[in-house]
Amino acid sequence: MNAALVSMVVPFFAAMLVLMWRPRQQSWLVIVASIVSLLAAVMALLSVIDSGPQSLNLGGWESPLAIRFQLMPVNALLIVTTAVIHLIVVCFAASSHHCQPIKQAFWPLALLLHGSLVALWLSMDLFNWYVTLELLGLAAVALVTLAGQKALRAALDYLLLSLFASLTYLLGVVMLYGQYGTLDIALLATLTEADRVTQTALLLISAGLMLKAALWPLHLWLPAAHSSAPTPVSALLSALVVKAPLFILWLLWSRVAPSELAVPMGFWLALLGGGALLIGGWSACRTPHLKTLVAYSTVAQLGYGLLALGLLLHWQLNDLQAALWLFVVAHAMAKTSMFLAAGEIQAATGKKRLNSLRGMTLTMPVALFAFAVAGGSLIGLPPSGGFIAKWLLIQPMLIEPAYWPWALLVIIATLLSAAYVFRVVSQGFRQSSVSATASEHGKSAQWLALLPAILVWLMALFSEPLLQLMDVFSA
Amino acid sequence: MTLSLQLFLATGGILWLTGLYGLWRNSDPIRRIISLNIMGSGVFLVMVTLARRETSTDPVLHALVVTGLVVAVSATAFALRLAVASQQEKR
Repeated sequence: MNAALVSMVVPFFAAMLVLMWRPRQQSWLVIVASIVSLLAAVMALLSVIDSGPQSLNLGGWESPLAIRFQLMPVNALLIVTTAVIHLIVVCFAASSHHCQPIKQAFWPLALLLHGSLVALWLSMDLFNWYVTLELLGLAAVALVTLAGQKALRAALDYLLLSLFASLTYLLGVVMLYGQYGTLDIALLATLTEADRVTQTALLLISAGLMLKAALWPLHLWLPAAHSSAPTPVSALLSALVVKAPLFILWLLWSRVAPSELAVPMGFWLALLGGGALLIGGWSACRTPHLKTLVAYSTVAQLGYGLLALGLLLHWQLNDLQAALWLFVVAHAMAKTSMFLAAGEIQAATGKKRLNSLRGMTLTMPVALFAFAVAGGSLIGLPPSGGFIAKWLLIQPMLIEPAYWPWALLVIIATLLSAAYVFRVVSQGFRQSSVSATASEHGKSAQWLALLPAILVWLMALFSEPLLQLMDVFSA
Repeated sequence: MTLSLQLFLATGGILWLTGLYGLWRNSDPIRRIISLNIMGSGVFLVMVTLARRETSTDPVLHALVVTGLVVAVSATAFALRLAVASQQEKR
């Protein structure tokens, strides 16, 4: 538990330090803080594997009043993922030339985002989630505004929607508190009954969370906000921030909600997930802009998470938990890679459109390779992390003939994701009209973009311990 | 639950819905920010009312309202600054 707390406190502390002290070598301070946070996160994961879930009541308060932190295998894994991605992204921001103008404000905000995320993963309290969601939202919006004047409108829309979602969430939380008198997840789980108030409260909370997670059909703000943000910010938002509400949604429906409510809701969630997969994938195949394509791919890929969550609830199959969280981790890695590569390409060509990618195999081979490798995991090519997750998801569907339509849906979605990934890669292989020369510009940034994509393929090698980790949890 | 408490709860709900309607119908940033604040007031009213249900007031809900107010004030300040900045860009 202590290691997890260190992993949370170090980014907050470093953010304050950068803001108040403004040292000359900010980038080194931020990178060191990220490394310390990552090491602490790994230690937390190891301790959870050794000695099982641990919990902590903040300030030593007793059960109904306490704000409780809990460290479980799932959130330990998420804390490690968060730290890894933050480390890669800050290294990218430090080495990439086009990130130069945004740096001053980027460092403290990125650190605040990191700390809020870890706090959210650790909390097991409905109101503390509200607070961490707000912290996360404010930091995320502030990060989007760094792109300058043109992004302000998207940032404002993002902020207003995020605040609206928070208030919807808060109303639901208050109704639950009014009914049961506690905010603690473990206590609520023992108390909840399938009555009208509980149902309304859960629906309000879910609507707020789905809006924040950009789950279809509440996704319309995401492409604008994520594609107009600066490159490292897009990567953080798409890879991590949208996963936070999904985590709460999962705990809420799988733990707190009584099964009489969770089973029918699961069906609807799965259906919405299917909608996200098809419509998000289709939009990604149609858009003319590179970063918008990657953003729509996030909408589509979140559909897998929602589908896994929905079916997990509907069929009451705990095995799907592993599928859900491997999806989240694999997508986080792959999407970081994709956004960093896309941003690096866009900065080099200075154009947003997809056809500006022509000849990229000659000029920026590493960035294009990173995009393709990450795309492989999104499609679910073996042996990548995306493949393992998809395999776990599709396995229970194949056993029962009544479940085959869901399997068909997953296959169509896979074809769509293959279509939009190849749309980008094939452009890169086309002959460019301008004579292209390989540039040394931003070499290290391109390699950093490739790193998470390689990590997601390495996940396949460690699939055995990862699955065991999930098993420990569902037992 | 007494009638007056129910009245307060209903007022909170109506405020929340009014804010929702305002957010949906308006496109002007300032109006939308005000709508959000009305929604927030609705939620806080529900919270304060629920705290008064029993003879002794529930301090937990009061603490939550105070936290919520802090969040609402800072978020509103940020939203107003953003709204002004995005208007300046248009001119």
